[in-house]
Amino acid sequence: MKFRRATDLPREAVSLRQALFLATGGGITIAGAWMLYDIYRDNGISTLEGILLALFVVLFGQIAFGFSIAFWGFVKRLFGERFQIMDTIKEADESQPLGSTAIVMPVYNEDAARIFRGLENMLISLRATGHSDAFDFFILSDSNQPDSWIDEECAWVSLCSRLQAYGRVFYRKRRVSLHGKSGNIADFCRRWGKRYRYMIILDADSVMAGETFVRLARAMDANPQVGLIQTAPQIVRGTSVFQRIIQFSTHTLGPIFAAGSNFWHLAGANYWGHNAIIRLQPFMEHCVLPELPGVTAADRHILSHDTVEAALMQQAGYQVWFANDEPGSYEEGPPNLTESLKRDRRWCQGNLQHFWFLLAPKTGFTNRIHIFFGLMAYLSAPLLVVFIVLNAIDFYWKQKYAMLSSQFAYAEGAWVTSLLLLGLTLLLLFAAKIFGLLYTLPRARKFGGVFSLFIGSAIEAISSILLAPIMLYFYTKFVLLTLLGLRVNWKTQNRSDSTIPFGQALREYGEVTLLGIAVAAATLYWMPVLTLWLSPLLAGWLLAIPLVMLTSSDRVGKWLLRHKLLLIPDEEQVPDILQNLDVPPPALVRPETLENVPHYGVLQALLAPFANSVHISLLRRSRVRAKHKEDYLDALATRLLSEGPEALNRREIMALLWSADALTNLHRRIWRMSEGELHPWWRYAMHHYNEAYSSRSLR
Amino acid sequence: MGEMSTNLAAWNVAALRLEDYLRAHRVHDRERLLHLNLDLLDAAHRAHATSPDRPPLEITMELATLRVEAWFSKLAGDSASPDPSLAARGRAAWFASGLHREWPTAFLDPEPSLELLSAARSVSMQAGPALEFSSLLRTEMDYGPMEDIAGGTWQQFSWGHVLRAFFIWVFIFFVAYGAYLTFFASQ
Repeated sequence: MKFRRATDLPREAVSLRQALFLATGGGITIAGAWMLYDIYRDNGISTLEGILLALFVVLFGQIAFGFSIAFWGFVKRLFGERFQIMDTIKEADESQPLGSTAIVMPVYNEDAARIFRGLENMLISLRATGHSDAFDFFILSDSNQPDSWIDEECAWVSLCSRLQAYGRVFYRKRRVSLHGKSGNIADFCRRWGKRYRYMIILDADSVMAGETFVRLARAMDANPQVGLIQTAPQIVRGTSVFQRIIQFSTHTLGPIFAAGSNFWHLAGANYWGHNAIIRLQPFMEHCVLPELPGVTAADRHILSHDTVEAALMQQAGYQVWFANDEPGSYEEGPPNLTESLKRDRRWCQGNLQHFWFLLAPKTGFTNRIHIFFGLMAYLSAPLLVVFIVLNAIDFYWKQKYAMLSSQFAYAEGAWVTSLLLLGLTLLLLFAAKIFGLLYTLPRARKFGGVFSLFIGSAIEAISSILLAPIMLYFYTKFVLLTLLGLRVNWKTQNRSDSTIPFGQALREYGEVTLLGIAVAAATLYWMPVLTLWLSPLLAGWLLAIPLVMLTSSDRVGKWLLRHKLLLIPDEEQVPDILQNLDVPPPALVRPETLENVPHYGVLQALLAPFANSVHISLLRRSRVRAKHKEDYLDALATRLLSEGPEALNRREIMALLWSADALTNLHRRIWRMSEGELHPWWRYAMHHYNEAYSSRSLR
Repeated sequence: MGEMSTNLAAWNVAALRLEDYLRAHRVHDRERLLHLNLDLLDAAHRAHATSPDRPPLEITMELATLRVEAWFSKLAGDSASPDPSLAARGRAAWFASGLHREWPTAFLDPEPSLELLSAARSVSMQAGPALEFSSLLRTEMDYGPMEDIAGGTWQQFSWGHVLRAFFIWVFIFFVAYGAYLTFFASQ
């Protein structure tokens, strides 16, 4: 039967695929566990060996199921996929108007220039499709840095003016940033959700082609029982070595894992929180985040909302699909390991919270697996540490007693099995990379040629081997911190400044190197043979500092690009949608002399008639006049002018920026005050600001 | 002579600030800029004659800011007197829609053209479309037996208990250690 609608998906096909996926992963796990059991059983299994065996099953199982996804993904890439949600569009009636769609982008202190350049490209691309009337853009700001806020407003007005986009592109700044990103989206739904049939969620660094927006809406129109379609965003625009490795990996291995994921879950996909389209009505009715069991309000709040929302959508009877082959969906990766780990710490806490849903009676089968994989992505780190430590203890005792008695010596067959098990583990670990390479090989020209592709794959493999132990250390730390109840805030990712200097690397990774030295010294002293076995782990720890510095380097990244190494197709031929993303919009071009001046946003809001008026027009004037509040703001304003912005903390500056009256008065006052009355910072700012504008106006 | 030169310097400061302020409004037309400068300075001189104690900068810039606000209020909403909200809207529209480029000599024109007025008023900086509120009801979730087990644990568990137990055991340890030192260590 041809797959025309999502409802055509046969139940038997889903069951068969899930059985195949589980049998592959489960079968390999059982085989591996049997091999280890075979090694242990000759001398009878001790308690320690029993614990090691149990840990092995969990850890080896994870590798085995990873292999299962990659294997079935490779098979699907070879033979094609019958069930692709985007294929249902072919049957959709294209003369029908598209369902109204809100494209929402929650932002939080990210680079406004990059956000609005991306938005501009998306709007232009969408207009080129001829369907832009069905779409509205919303920038939902939770920025709490004054400079970011002012930049966002100026960039928004500038964009709307240049592209005649008022009434199509909206900017909303929340006063109270309750519940971070999920709260921001819930606030949007509460205010405008009823107006739209669909919502496409983007991250601040997401970019999507207009055609992709249209196709996603079309796919939803064609399949009323589909609640959510997740695209597979390509990671692009990497400059640092770290970013280039990630984007190379997502372009070579990504398609294999994406196809493998779609193979086993089909209509039970996961949601990644962005670059996805959601049917709003069921989302608002059934996917409002529940409270977790917990004592405090912070305990009860769900941090990582996406997986839970996908589960709730499926509980409500809607399908969730993964459009794994849909082009035109992009995002950017973190510039270095530090930024990547910051994100991981947040994700770790969120994923561990999902434990509650793992055992909830109504959670669907595929959701349970997604949740379990999400949990194990982080939990496996401390388990692996325990496994390594217990193995070292086991090895030490066996080595010690082997000298005294032949009873503990391994039989010859056990050594063979051990080597077989090691070989199997290595094969499973590298199979995905081999599949990825084989899949990419026919398209090697787009990756700089066969030679470049091989060298790129080798760099990717070596770096992942060396970075994995560092991540093992930090993931273990994150899990422990989370279990101890230490909170993680929603922090901005720094995607612009990548290079990590030696001092920072030493501060952040010195502990990892020390750990490497301690473990190397201990094993060399007590068990020299073990040092060899642990060498991949020790290499990563000992080289942590230079490795982190090297991978954060933009210079080396550019060198790699020049030599066509770790190249991706989007770099050979940059799509229109990714052009000029680094060029700041006109409203955000700073005068050269004020390039690196801190508090530039505050300067603009007070001094520049444009920024001041835009900001005030977007504020709601308070109808109630409270004397104590006016006095407080007046005192802050006086301090700001006479002592400079450094004299006020962020909250105080934000309090002034939230008051239209205070801003109006400050604008008047600053222009009326003599230089002697102003703080030197303002004198400097005013001088350079005026100089910039006088020279421009004379041009 | 000294007082006269001080006075002259103060008026120069005021004139420079005024020019900067007008330029910050992107008045690109040189003639218009000079004309407005002279006009406002003339008005400031007259005002200074009636209140000679006030510094020229303050008087000049007060006049300038008020006139600018009044003009933008008129641009945005035909208001007879300066209104801060309207002034902000008018000024934002002036810049945002490039009206300053389209009408380079219109800035502070007491009788702005109807085209300019309609262009300024057509700019609508909407932060969002018309509100259509929905109430979102939190999903009730059954977490199964784990919730009951955890709930029971939380109700019984407190850090106070842990600390108390810790101190009791530390106390017991020291007592036992003291007893050991007193009665057994010497033997």
